[in-house]
Amino acid sequence: MQTIEFKQLDETLYYKKLSNGLDVYILPKKGFSKTFVTFTTKYGSIDRTFVPIGESETITVPDGIAHFLEHKMFEKEHGDVFQEFSEAGASANAFTSFTRTAYLFSATDNIYKSTETLLNFVQEPYFTEQTVNKEKGIIGQEITMYDDQPDWRLYFGAIENMFHKHPVKIDIAGTIESIDKITAEHLYTCYNTFYHPSNMLLFVVGGIDPTEMMAFIEKNQNKKQFPEPTPIERHCEDEPKEVAIQERELKMDVQKPKVYVGLKALETNLSGEEMLKHELSVQIGLECLFGRASNFYTEVYENGLIDESFAYDFSLEKGYGFALIGSDSSQPDKLAELIKTQINNAESTFTEEKVERVKRKKIGFFLRALNSMEFIANQFTRYEFNDMNLFDAVPVIEKLTLKDIVEAFKTIQGESQQTVFKILPSSERKE
Amino acid sequence: MFLSTKLAEGVTLHIRQTTQFKTVNFSIKWRRPLTMKDAAERAVLSNVLQHSNGKFKKSAEFRSYLDDLFGTVLYFDASKRGSEHTVVLNVETVNDQYLAQNKVFNEVLDLLNTVIFQPNFENDKFVSSIVEREKEMVIQRIHSIFDDKTRYAQHRLTQIIRPNHPASISANGTIDTVKAVTIDSLTEAYHSMINEDKIDIYVVGDIDVEAVQKKLTEALPFKDRAPKKVERNNVDSKPEKEYTKEQQEMKQGKLHIGYSTPVFFGDEDFPKMQIFNGVFGGYAHSKLFMNVRERESLAYYASSSYSSYYGLVFVVSGIEPANEKKATDVIAEQLEAIKNGEISDLELNQTKAMLTNQLKEALDLARGQIDIYDQYKDLDDQFSVELWKERWDKVTKEDVQKMASQVKLEAIYFLSGKEA
Repeated sequence: MQTIEFKQLDETLYYKKLSNGLDVYILPKKGFSKTFVTFTTKYGSIDRTFVPIGESETITVPDGIAHFLEHKMFEKEHGDVFQEFSEAGASANAFTSFTRTAYLFSATDNIYKSTETLLNFVQEPYFTEQTVNKEKGIIGQEITMYDDQPDWRLYFGAIENMFHKHPVKIDIAGTIESIDKITAEHLYTCYNTFYHPSNMLLFVVGGIDPTEMMAFIEKNQNKKQFPEPTPIERHCEDEPKEVAIQERELKMDVQKPKVYVGLKALETNLSGEEMLKHELSVQIGLECLFGRASNFYTEVYENGLIDESFAYDFSLEKGYGFALIGSDSSQPDKLAELIKTQINNAESTFTEEKVERVKRKKIGFFLRALNSMEFIANQFTRYEFNDMNLFDAVPVIEKLTLKDIVEAFKTIQGESQQTVFKILPSSERKE
Repeated sequence: MFLSTKLAEGVTLHIRQTTQFKTVNFSIKWRRPLTMKDAAERAVLSNVLQHSNGKFKKSAEFRSYLDDLFGTVLYFDASKRGSEHTVVLNVETVNDQYLAQNKVFNEVLDLLNTVIFQPNFENDKFVSSIVEREKEMVIQRIHSIFDDKTRYAQHRLTQIIRPNHPASISANGTIDTVKAVTIDSLTEAYHSMINEDKIDIYVVGDIDVEAVQKKLTEALPFKDRAPKKVERNNVDSKPEKEYTKEQQEMKQGKLHIGYSTPVFFGDEDFPKMQIFNGVFGGYAHSKLFMNVRERESLAYYASSSYSSYYGLVFVVSGIEPANEKKATDVIAEQLEAIKNGEISDLELNQTKAMLTNQLKEALDLARGQIDIYDQYKDLDDQFSVELWKERWDKVTKEDVQKMASQVKLEAIYFLSGKEA
């Protein structure tokens, strides 16, 4: 077992790669009664075209399958796994993103029992045609629920505008039609390909003894048989640099228009510290341009162009990346124009002073976030899947310069990379 | 849990020294009885005080200063609990020891004085342009409920089940009452909040207790006050209608059902009612989840919540509109089953374990420590997890059955698409 110390943060991380390839990280937290555990596979909604384990032909599976698989992992021959967690007083959950599927629980008692439940249920698939078909009604309602959420439609609408082919443009849960095609056999194919321990990471954070916990996990894993790990072959078509659609709108039953300006990232092939540096630089750039201390914010706020929904964010993974900036606004076109102008003139807005201030804000953000076990476990996993280290963020921010921000920002700035997506009220709304 | 001292009559400081967190949290709560007019004034006031102050007259200057203090988080919020309205100021700042060279803690203490006692006044009143913009922000916040169908359906059910009652008065007021706010009324609301409200001040973090007590006494010179005692729920209010169906352009049907219970927060039967809610629909092992979702595949979510300050229980589920009757029946069956005593040992034990775990987990967060202590401190006994665990452990199947028999269906609200 390796120990990695982060002196300034007063944290010690314990790590071991088990013989089956599983990466295990343990972060003990003194004084906490809670423990939070995530078991994550590097497999998300974008992994739809791949060579199944042990085969040689590439296949494309129905959209929404990673998420469907996540749902079905909880059902076993003997019943529902939630029952076991509840009995031990643990809150269990799971989520599927574009690039990851995570299973997790938090608890204050019976930590070992629930850790075992987690490891076992994720490593013992049980799918039948009957249970798969039963789930279609449940997930169908989940999809319908998201269809009715204007903010989700705004988010996905902007992503659809940006990408020509990349599967990030496909809704994580798929569609009612696509999930209807899913079979138990599909689920086994995806499971066997992507749930090998060598493609997974276990993170434990909380009031636990790291040595004892590591031994417990290792013992559990050593009892199980897994095939030799093989590299996973995923396929993704080449994605053009420019956005697919520059402007589009959708009508929904909303009280006020909503608008997002999307910026498609060009630099999507980084990893490790380079990626960390790039990602933080773009985020700091966005904060300088659009943060509450910016002239831009003051202007659009005073002119009534935004409300409390105003937000901006940057997402970066291997193969795709984008920034989104927007708000509910009675004048969505005017707001979109001002956002674009601000982006096009970014260089003149970046100054040493602003960058230094935003760096301090960002450092404070990370230190606050380190109080949250959920943040640590989820973000550490995401960083690790991209060969970055969460605990390097603060020292990397400290070293960033004005030039880094300007250079990084150039990669999301081009006019052909910009898109606007709006949701407009479908009819006169009644009070 | 907290060390409490009186700063003035009606003003209490609660401090908790702990090395658990990398930050120091402050929370100052101003309370008074909940009325529609006061709620609107105080929601706008929260926004205006957060916007700027006498020292930083422009919002951008204020925000820049906070960013410089390593992104110190500072926000005001308006909320309600039972028949009380609360304005809260939350501040979270990084503990100095994690910063390479800076000292921010003392600056933050000074800042508390600035944002509370030095408002951005012109001629002893708030600035009209700021007040008008912030009124608009609050109005937009109220409007935005319409776009979130689940929140909207719950908002409508609450209006229907308890009209003109604290349960249905929003902590943000209404569009009309917010529009009616003036710089004079807002200035008056500010003075009465500072001088008349009941105040609780919380500090959690790795701090020197005596030094902080001394500093806060200087930084927060609140005067003595005699706050009105808030009576619980003395308003008589009955549901307008038993069944309401409304339509919007949407795909899913939102089924929201409201029940009443005579048991309120802090009553002797309160722990029993908590267990009832857990067996009924509070968790993923509960009857609603297991039957509406897992057995019948009718919904992605189906759960219940116990609104203990108002003596109400709500069930919410998102379903295919055509399945309205079936879902309503399956939900009713679950309540009926509990009334008939169909409660397994497993369900009971799971619920007890989950309640205990939830409480312990919440106490691992600084904000959780503050909010739970703030809620339980007014009950007769000293708060502890063990005490509540013991109370839940004592609850029997018969107790839960009895709770179910007192739960009464009052109103059903169904929101669905136009073609359904």
